[in-house]
Amino acid sequence: MEQMDAEVVETLAGVARVLRRAAELVWTQADAAGPGSSRQLLALGIDSAADEALGLLPRRARLGGPTPVGDNPADLLASAEQLLRRICVLGAPSRLLGLRSLVAELVWEANTGAGT
Amino acid sequence: MPAPDRRTIGELLADTDALARETLLSATSENAPAMVRSWNQLVASAAHLWAALSSPPDEMSGSDPMERLRVVGEAIARSVRAGHWPGHGPTDDHVTEIADNLSRARHLIERHGLASGPATADRLADPPDIHGQVMHTLYVAAHGTAVAVGAYVGELQYRLEVGTRRRQPMAERPTTLEITEAHGMIDRFSGFEQLAAARLFGQPLPSADPGQRRAVAHATRLETALGACEVQAHRTLAANPDAADLVRIARVQALITTTTSIITEAAATTGHIDPDLFQRLAPTLEANQVAWSSLAKRWGELTSPASRTDPALAATASEVRAAIAAAATTQKGWATPDQLASRVDLAKTLKTLHLSMVASVDIAHVARDTAADHPGLTAPARIIGMRAQGEAEIAIEQGETRYEGVMWTTPRQISANELIPLPEPARRGLINLNDDVIATTKQSVAAAAQLDPSGVTRSVRSGPEVRRGRSVETLQIPRRPDLGPRGPRR
Repeated sequence: MEQMDAEVVETLAGVARVLRRAAELVWTQADAAGPGSSRQLLALGIDSAADEALGLLPRRARLGGPTPVGDNPADLLASAEQLLRRICVLGAPSRLLGLRSLVAELVWEANTGAGT
Repeated sequence: MPAPDRRTIGELLADTDALARETLLSATSENAPAMVRSWNQLVASAAHLWAALSSPPDEMSGSDPMERLRVVGEAIARSVRAGHWPGHGPTDDHVTEIADNLSRARHLIERHGLASGPATADRLADPPDIHGQVMHTLYVAAHGTAVAVGAYVGELQYRLEVGTRRRQPMAERPTTLEITEAHGMIDRFSGFEQLAAARLFGQPLPSADPGQRRAVAHATRLETALGACEVQAHRTLAANPDAADLVRIARVQALITTTTSIITEAAATTGHIDPDLFQRLAPTLEANQVAWSSLAKRWGELTSPASRTDPALAATASEVRAAIAAAATTQKGWATPDQLASRVDLAKTLKTLHLSMVASVDIAHVARDTAADHPGLTAPARIIGMRAQGEAEIAIEQGETRYEGVMWTTPRQISANELIPLPEPARRGLINLNDDVIATTKQSVAAAAQLDPSGVTRSVRSGPEVRRGRSVETLQIPRRPDLGPRGPRR
C-alpha cells in the first residue's frame, strides 16, 4: 500500500468511525425486528465496509475520535460516501475506489429499504 | 528389529478400514478418553494422505471437505491441550495404528505414486477410490469414538447418581462439569461424522456399475462461501482471536440461521418438503438465531475502537453475505417462496445450509473454549465492570460464594476506561450464552434431521453392543438409493 498523507488517513479514520456507528444502529434495528430480519444483510455489509476502511489505514493510525452524530443509518452512510468522494481523487488506490463504490451500494440499499 | 512393512497401498487402506470398524467393537467407556486424545493424529494423517492424492473428480472447488474436517480435528486437539475433557493422558493404540497406516500409505504414494506394490488383477480392473476409503475410515472411526464417549458419559452419570444417593464425598464423585464437557465432545464427534458423511455419500460410488453413480452437481456459490467461512472461522479462533472476530462469527451464524429459515419456509410452501417439518424446525431456528445474536452483542461489549476483525475472516464473511444476498433477496428484502424456487435448487440449498448448521456446533464449542480460556481477552473497564458485577450477582444468588465482596475494577481503571483482563464472572456470562447457542443449534440440527446433509442412503445391520453403552450398528457404503437418508443411529 502506498504512503497516504495525513489528511487522507484522518478522513479514512473518520469514514471507519461513521461506518461503525451506522453498523451499530442497523444491528440494533435488526435485533429489534426479530430473527427473520433481512436488515442483518445490510448490517453485515456495513461491517465489511468498515473493515475495508480499517484495512486501508496504516496499522498505527489512531481510530479514536468523536462519536459520529446522528441516528439515521442512511444519512451516516451518505456522509461516509461524501467523505470518501473527497479523497477518491485521480490516481487514488483501487481499494479506496472499491470502498467508495461499496459504500455507495450500501447507501442505495439503506434508502431502498431492503432488509426492513 | 521389526520386519519391514511390505503392505501395498490397497492393503494398508483395507487394514485401515477394518481397524476403523473395530473401533466400534472397542468403543468402551474406558477407551473413550484415549480415543479422543488420539483423534487429531488420525485426522492429520488422513489429511496428509488426501493432500498427496490428486483432487478427486467432481470435488467441490473452494470447499475441500478434508480441510473442513482437519480444522475440526485441530480444534478438538486444542480443547484437550487446554485441559478440557479428557485432558492429558495416554493415547489409543488402535486409533494410532490407523493413523500410522494412513501415514505409511502416504509415504508410498509420495515415493512411488499410486502404482506401488505388486499389481493385482483386482487393482487393474477397478482403480481404488482412495478418497472414499479415507473418508469412510474417518466416518466410521468418528462414530466409534462418539459411541465410546457416550458409554463413558453413561458410566459417569451412573457413578454420580450412586455417589449422590450414598452421600459419598464430593471428591469421589464425577463432576457435572466433566459430564457436560464429555457430552460436548459427543456433539463434536457427531458433527464430524455428519460432515464426513456429506462428502462420502454426496459423491459417486466407487462402483464399476455406472448405474450406481450419482450425479454430482457443481458447488454453488453459497456452498463454497459457507465452507470457506467455516474453515476460516476455525483458523481465526485458533490464532489469538480478537473480540471483534467472535462478533463477526456469531453475526454470520445468525444470518445463516435466518437464511435457513427462509429457505425452509420456501421449500415447505412450494411442496419440496413436508410443511410439518417447517413447523417443527422454525421455532428452533428462531431460538438459535436469537442465541447467536445475543452472543454477538455480548462479545461486542468487549470490543474497543482499536479492535479489528481478522481480514481473512472479514473476507469470507463478506462472501457469505454476498452469496446469500444474491440467492435469497430482492430490492425489498427476502425473496418470496416462488422467487426462491425459481432461483435456487431448494432441496440442495437446504442440505447445504443444514450441513453448515451441523458444522456450526463445533464452531460454537471452540467459541466457548475461547471464552473460557483465552488469556488475552480484555475489555473496556466501564462496561465490563458492570457486566462482571451483574454476572457475579446472578452467580451469588445461585450459591457461588467466591464472588462475594469482590471488586472487579479499580477507580483508576474506570476513570480512564482502561482495557482490563476479562474478570471471571464476565467469562462465565459468555460461557452461558455459548451454552445457549450450543443447545439451540443441537435442537435445530435434530429437528432438521430429515434434511440429512449427506443424502445418505445406507444399509445398517446389527452389530455388537458396547458394554454399558448405546447400541452400535456397523456401517456400509450405501447400496440402496431408495432408503431414506439417515446418519448412524445410536
